[in-house]
Amino acid sequence: MQTQALEIRRSSAAVLGSLSGQRRAEVVSKYIDTTTCIGCKACEVACQEWNDLRPVATEQTGSYQTLPTLDANYWNLIRFNERDFEGGLMWLMRKDQCMHCDEPGCLAACPAPGAIVQYANGIVDVNPDQCIGCRYCETGCPFDVPRFSRTTGKMAKCTLCVDRVSVGLEPACIKACPTGCLHFGTKEDMLELAHTRVGALKHDGFAQAAVYDPAGVHGTSVITVLAHGDHPEWYGLPKNPRVPILVKVWKKLLRPLGGIAILGAVFGVFGHYMRHGPKAAHGADDDDSNLPLA
Amino acid sequence: MSSTATPRPHLPGDPAVMVARRYEDVVCGNEISRHNLLSRFSHWAVAVTFVLAMLTGMPIWTPVFGWMAYLFGGLTVCRILHPWLGVAFVVFSIERFFQWLPDMHVLPPDVDWFRQRATKQGRAGVDDSQVGKYNGGQKLYFWAVSIGSLGLLFSGLVMWLPRYFPPVVRQLMYLVHDFAFICYAVSLVVHAYLSTAAEPGTFVSMSRGTVTRAWARLHHPRWYHDVLAGQRSREVMTDEQDRRS
Repeated sequence: MQTQALEIRRSSAAVLGSLSGQRRAEVVSKYIDTTTCIGCKACEVACQEWNDLRPVATEQTGSYQTLPTLDANYWNLIRFNERDFEGGLMWLMRKDQCMHCDEPGCLAACPAPGAIVQYANGIVDVNPDQCIGCRYCETGCPFDVPRFSRTTGKMAKCTLCVDRVSVGLEPACIKACPTGCLHFGTKEDMLELAHTRVGALKHDGFAQAAVYDPAGVHGTSVITVLAHGDHPEWYGLPKNPRVPILVKVWKKLLRPLGGIAILGAVFGVFGHYMRHGPKAAHGADDDDSNLPLA
Repeated sequence: MSSTATPRPHLPGDPAVMVARRYEDVVCGNEISRHNLLSRFSHWAVAVTFVLAMLTGMPIWTPVFGWMAYLFGGLTVCRILHPWLGVAFVVFSIERFFQWLPDMHVLPPDVDWFRQRATKQGRAGVDDSQVGKYNGGQKLYFWAVSIGSLGLLFSGLVMWLPRYFPPVVRQLMYLVHDFAFICYAVSLVVHAYLSTAAEPGTFVSMSRGTVTRAWARLHHPRWYHDVLAGQRSREVMTDEQDRRS
């Protein structure tokens, strides 16, 4: 969380707009080439080290993968997706981490003001000071990324090393990658790089190669080159991720309608009192002569 | 039947009146006891836990009500308290449900109560002579809050322990929880209005447990009739009990 150094584009549970300034920032992005990842996990180690995350006990699931899924203390996980092809088994590596969506579902679902922010440069970050640990972001996220920490009672996820980026360094995982399958720069530059790589892959026989930059969330600040771009689900990526429609209905429709209904009830009862007044009992207490019973 | 019971002058501290207050549907001096202590406790236990859960939930619902969080020490405290207050609310709701259930069966006069209100304008011309201890509206409110509290419970549990449920269930339960709350909040406003400003004398039935005879005659004539005729008392007070108390 580096609010001092970076301007905020969007903030969770904001009553008014949440832009913190006028300056524009270049949108940054990670570039992940799944075809040149060798599964060395240097990026996992670098992430743990830079972010001072506690070691998480690894789990043997019959694969080289470190953990079955992300953890509040494990923000960057190389998924070793195994798939049978004609020439034999292939690993479809994927770097599982926060995708830093341009339209973040976590931020849409978050009820705590300022707990999730999107900086002007596109990085989506959790602010632990404001987070109340309600776990709504887990439901809002189309990539199932945010994790609740029982230790801190708050959410945690990849920050895209905002503390490094804000002082001109590249994220720790990028720094550590030995094969050059990870790069960092402006989104524009990274897209150019990705399309060049996709062209090379197509030339090498991967006709379906594509850049994964899903339009459903207006693109992400983590773009991925997939050799089998027509099957992102083989990599464990959703085909068309978007902010869940029910989350939008909940926040944008039901919430204002509820407020109007409650306010309407308050005005309604005042109006009823002014129009009709109290329904009070008349006559002496022991006078039963007007009892409307046979 | 107009003189079935001879009203006694109501003196503060009258031992007979003190005893009568422990029972329901008993003539008690100039008044009639309507809710015994346990019944009133049930009501206020549900009411207090609901209002606390509401005050801790509304700042999480929308930042517009964020100021409520400061009553408890901030949004994080609200987030910690809210689910437990919800549990307490549901526990008391269940107790209240079974305690009040015998009087809450919907009968033909209750349907008629609604039909009259749907077709007739204003208070004049409405014949409420068959209204018993609870009218159709009160019974509807009873059933609505009972079912609503189950909705709040199950959706709240899903929101509390999200990883045990698939995302689409979680998303749906957010809507269920909010919708149930909105219905609750609207009917709470109406409930509070009807039991105070709209119908003087009603609030006392939930605080001290008694109503005046005139109040009973106006709002619940059939109940009043049955009480005077001795047809409602589940417990008949004897001189023996009177002495022991």
